Amino acid sequence: MQKTEKLPKTKSISYSRWGYIFIAPFFIIYTIFTFYPQLLTVYNSFFEYYRDGLTIIGPRFVGLQNYKTLFSLNTSGYVPIFKFMGNTLWLWIIGALPQFTIAMLLALFFTSTRLDIKGQQFFKTVIYMPNLIMASAFSMLFFALFSQVGPVNQLLVSSGMALKPINFLGMRVTVQSLIGLMNFLMWFGNTTILLMAGIQSIDEALFESARLDGSTSTQVFFNITMPLLMPIFIYVLITSMIGGIQMFDVPQVLTNGHGIPNNTSTTLIMYLNNFLGISKNYGMAGALSVLLFFITAVLSGIVFKTINRK
Amino acid sequence: MKKLLSGLLAMPLVLTLVGCQKPADPTPAPADETAEGAVLNVWTWNEEFWGFLGKYYADEVVDEYTLKKGDVTIKRTTYPSDGGAYQDALDAALLNQANAAADDKIDLFLAEADYILKYTNSDATMDVKSIGVTDFSNTYKYTVEAASDANGVVKGVSFQCCPAAVIYRRSIAMDVLGTDDPAAVQEALKDWDAFNAVAAAAKEKGYTMIPTTNATYRVFSNNATSPWVVDGKLNIDANILKWMDQSEEFVKNGYTAYTSNIWGDEATSEMFADGKSMCFFGPAWYFNFSMTNAQDPEKGCMGDWAICQGPQAWFWGGTWMLAATGTDNPTMVADIMNTFINNEEVCDALVKNEAQFSNNQAVNNKYAEDETFGSEFLGGQNPNAVFAELAKNIKFQNVTQYDQLCNEGLQTYFTEFLDGQVATREDAINNFKDYIRTTYPSITVE
Repeated sequence: MQKTEKLPKTKSISYSRWGYIFIAPFFIIYTIFTFYPQLLTVYNSFFEYYRDGLTIIGPRFVGLQNYKTLFSLNTSGYVPIFKFMGNTLWLWIIGALPQFTIAMLLALFFTSTRLDIKGQQFFKTVIYMPNLIMASAFSMLFFALFSQVGPVNQLLVSSGMALKPINFLGMRVTVQSLIGLMNFLMWFGNTTILLMAGIQSIDEALFESARLDGSTSTQVFFNITMPLLMPIFIYVLITSMIGGIQMFDVPQVLTNGHGIPNNTSTTLIMYLNNFLGISKNYGMAGALSVLLFFITAVLSGIVFKTINRK
Repeated sequence: MKKLLSGLLAMPLVLTLVGCQKPADPTPAPADETAEGAVLNVWTWNEEFWGFLGKYYADEVVDEYTLKKGDVTIKRTTYPSDGGAYQDALDAALLNQANAAADDKIDLFLAEADYILKYTNSDATMDVKSIGVTDFSNTYKYTVEAASDANGVVKGVSFQCCPAAVIYRRSIAMDVLGTDDPAAVQEALKDWDAFNAVAAAAKEKGYTMIPTTNATYRVFSNNATSPWVVDGKLNIDANILKWMDQSEEFVKNGYTAYTSNIWGDEATSEMFADGKSMCFFGPAWYFNFSMTNAQDPEKGCMGDWAICQGPQAWFWGGTWMLAATGTDNPTMVADIMNTFINNEEVCDALVKNEAQFSNNQAVNNKYAEDETFGSEFLGGQNPNAVFAELAKNIKFQNVTQYDQLCNEGLQTYFTEFLDGQVATREDAINNFKDYIRTTYPSITVE
């Protein structure tokens, strides 16, 4: 009783302070390990700053010179970032198209109450598994499998399907296809599970009533599932695209860092990595990173706007 | 109470941050000069030298990465050479050498001819004469020149000398030339025209002259008359263009099995007994360390090999041990260096047991003149007799610190042309130039 009498001293009790305390660790760590380096990247992009052997050159302020260099023609006669941006998008698309198609189909099958597939847990685990392998290890595996003396070529030659070993890792079509295939294999399980979660969050009653009204599966998909799945679908698409822009380990390992052949599988991050190789060119790498940041932001914005127009 | 709680919550965070900081005084000076570090750190890009260190220097091999010599633990740090990964990691460690704790400092590191200048011409390496490596009378002159800086200060030593040769398959030579005798084969391969003629004959019989077009690259690049970088500008030597001519012709005529990287599965599979390639190129370390497929007990062809000088004299690399500035084990570093160049017993064992061509002329020459000495791999041929002669002419010249990636890059991009993936040779060279421009901002590319 005595305690209650003390209460009127403060007019209301606020617990918000606890909220701030609990989220503080994230913001502190984010600031130190992400935000500060990001600012530093922007800062470095205005400097000439690299290593020549063990000698550190710079940092020397050069204004927008690094950005100018980034947009200038190279000896081969093209602007590297434009070509590599094209490569990156193309490599993402050839992986993402089958990835989303298959993932959507699987998600529909698994969630369908009419099909009622048994052993779902098992299948879900299996399709997710490729994602657990490190991308570089996965790529290394493909590198060995598809070499001219690797098992795939041995199989093709001994079965008579090819007269002599095919140079899978030296030709544009096969290199790009392999990269697409690997990205597809690694990510379709993950996408399936996310889309399934999305579909399962839709009220089952809607499906039932549609079925009672005599809708076909196609009608149900386009008029009920897809519109209600949209928020999740956009999220999955954008994250996949951002992941695609950052594509690195698979093509890097498969082409030994050279984006063979003829730089047709060099992605933007591989280009960035070349700057950060032996010369640690923070200036140029910084400029490229800043550019990448804007590309990612703009692309995300466009996709978000177009899909979410309604 | 609330303050206490929030304080407690914040505590781990603060502690983590504190934990991230390096101790303020990382290099407590040793109390007296004779007390040396308990850990000797050795940096390598493969296991070749490390194996010898374990066998002929250390008292005990603890595990793959650890040796013991007296009270000192010898530790290995290894990064792959490919793409400059080793140089990259080494540079970072050397630049941080002053801040590293005594037992984490690099004491001894290995470097290749392709980039040794970077380290010898910097303060990261030190004068080995000052720590007690003074007798170079037995070593080959070029190995000392290569490890010296611009002022002639010697910064390290090599445990091997690397004159290189053509390593050919005896059985194929027998089939193609009717002889496997090194002198007769040398006569048949005495210059590139003769070499090409034999390539045609080999093709007739269903063989390929070389495993990959990149196999002959080093012969041409080593005979270049100008370095990769002249006055800060990228320079492609005329001899490199000659290699391109040869490669193009070999692919067109089907004289090569592959166009791939020489270290890749394709080229090395040609070393097996069922391989169809006649000639490999390399020094002693190449056939004893890199031709393991040929030595495979089941699929290999031990003894079916022999060496001769081939179309052009050349050498390939060598592995140098350099003394890192800041080492806390100078005595042992010097001891290791002296062991591998001046300890006759060890150099003897390197030649006899490891098929090395050591960096001790007296030992090498002793075996060169020993008629009973022969290599099992080479079907009883005495490699030292060949190498001792070739070693006389080695000159360390036209070398830059950029060579590794220039050599790797040029081969990669030119191979794309050979594979028909870029239209012209010009395009391939342009791709190479763009690669160098990105990789080395300090080189002007036109």
